[in-house]
Amino acid sequence: MQILKKTNLKALEKAKKLGSEKIIALVSKKGLTGRAGGGFPTGKKWQMVKETPANEKYVICNADEGEPGTFKDRFILENNPETLIEGIMIACFAVNAKKAYIYLRSEYTSLKPKLQKTINEVLKKAKSKLNMEIFSGAGSYVVGEETAIIASIEGKRGQPNLRPPYPTTQGLFNKPTVINNVETLTNIPQLVLFDDWKDLKLHSLSGCVNKPGVYELPIGIKLKDIIKLAEPKNKVKAIYFGCFGGCLPYEQFKEMEMKQENICKQNCALGSSTMIIVDETKSIVDIATNIAKFYEFESCGRCTPCREGTMRILHFLEEISLGKATKEDFETLQELAWVIKETSFCGLGQSSMNHLLSALQYFKKEFEAKLK
Amino acid sequence: MNLKEVYPDCDKLLPRLIAEQKKNGFISEQAMKKISDETKIPISRIYAATTFYANLFVRKQGNYLIEICNSPSCYLNNSLDVIKELEKLLKIKSGETTKDNKFSLHIGSCIGCCDKAPAMMINKKVYGNLTKEKIKEIIQKCKS
Repeated sequence: MQILKKTNLKALEKAKKLGSEKIIALVSKKGLTGRAGGGFPTGKKWQMVKETPANEKYVICNADEGEPGTFKDRFILENNPETLIEGIMIACFAVNAKKAYIYLRSEYTSLKPKLQKTINEVLKKAKSKLNMEIFSGAGSYVVGEETAIIASIEGKRGQPNLRPPYPTTQGLFNKPTVINNVETLTNIPQLVLFDDWKDLKLHSLSGCVNKPGVYELPIGIKLKDIIKLAEPKNKVKAIYFGCFGGCLPYEQFKEMEMKQENICKQNCALGSSTMIIVDETKSIVDIATNIAKFYEFESCGRCTPCREGTMRILHFLEEISLGKATKEDFETLQELAWVIKETSFCGLGQSSMNHLLSALQYFKKEFEAKLK
Repeated sequence: MNLKEVYPDCDKLLPRLIAEQKKNGFISEQAMKKISDETKIPISRIYAATTFYANLFVRKQGNYLIEICNSPSCYLNNSLDVIKELEKLLKIKSGETTKDNKFSLHIGSCIGCCDKAPAMMINKKVYGNLTKEKIKEIIQKCKS
């Protein structure tokens, strides 16, 4: 796997020789985009931070991988932390930041001692004075959003804020801040050092399969070619792109090339290439209820549509699964789902209904069969 | 606004709360007052931050904090059976602590172990590919 290749501080050396402007140009030229789901061009983000005048700047490595079904960042933290740390050092060099944070989700606390040891070793070997700190989270899905991660480090409730201003100009402690995902930053030393670097993406495959795991694949590969790697246990019914990405029926879309734009056309989102495989033995209504419970739990409570809406949606879905819901309830559910999507404050609330809306689009009969 | 100019120790708050949670199993009002005195951050802000996070508690938790995942990947791999077994063995529901203060159980969100589903953590240590039998063994080990 390309992502596991070590660069042994040679990329940092090369970056320092090239200088910050050329290194940002190189990242832009190679076309690296954010791997957390947003897909923003990494070079452009760095350029914006570099251009903003400030006496202090920060780099935050987002290791708050909370999307259900996603475990690629854990895979990197376990298997190639050296290269990630070198990537953070290059990012700091490129934007002239003296302090970097690795925001590690609390569920990955067990990885912390080894990561801390690796940081110490790499910084010592590079004779670097960079201040790199592991900042532990305390259990929150929404903190993965970039303005929420800043709020969390600043000791506030980890709730998202309105953008603009973007973190690139007013980020942590109101200073320009680069926030990049673990996978994005691990790609940096590799693309700097290796001429044959390819734009590959890690896919987290799990669910009703015999071989769940992290698979490194080129962008744009056909859905069926991805799914067969994980060896489904039975006939595949649907693919969920995490919780926020929505779902697609497998048979209808198995020939589709897995590109963000193709999936967006179907009102879904590829996100961080998370795929949860659901087979014919499972009920979509049950999964919708399960995911609704997740959003009800993770809603931060700031805005009414998300706080109250996710709770009502869960209630309706539970009633449907129990066969207690009427046709009228079902109509209210659909209307409410749109209201939450359209009126929620942040990305969590807005995307919290994607799974339900896509399930209603493709598997409506399963819901209707359970109505009174 | 740069919050550091108002509360210079604002970025120390979450690490302090996590340390307190680890040390005493919860964050008491006295602990919050102490942190407030030391950091000059108002206690209301400290309470607000504490109650935001799923892994910080204002009530005492058991010695073994069990967090079991019920997100889709685990759910599709029969996490409900494992959860039922845990509830049966410990005689508590999610969010509760056993009378002897030994175990707390929380059904939670994805813990990033979907390749070992169904999975759980006990005091942050991961146990994967769970079955009813495995659960019995693990709980037995904790009890003895």
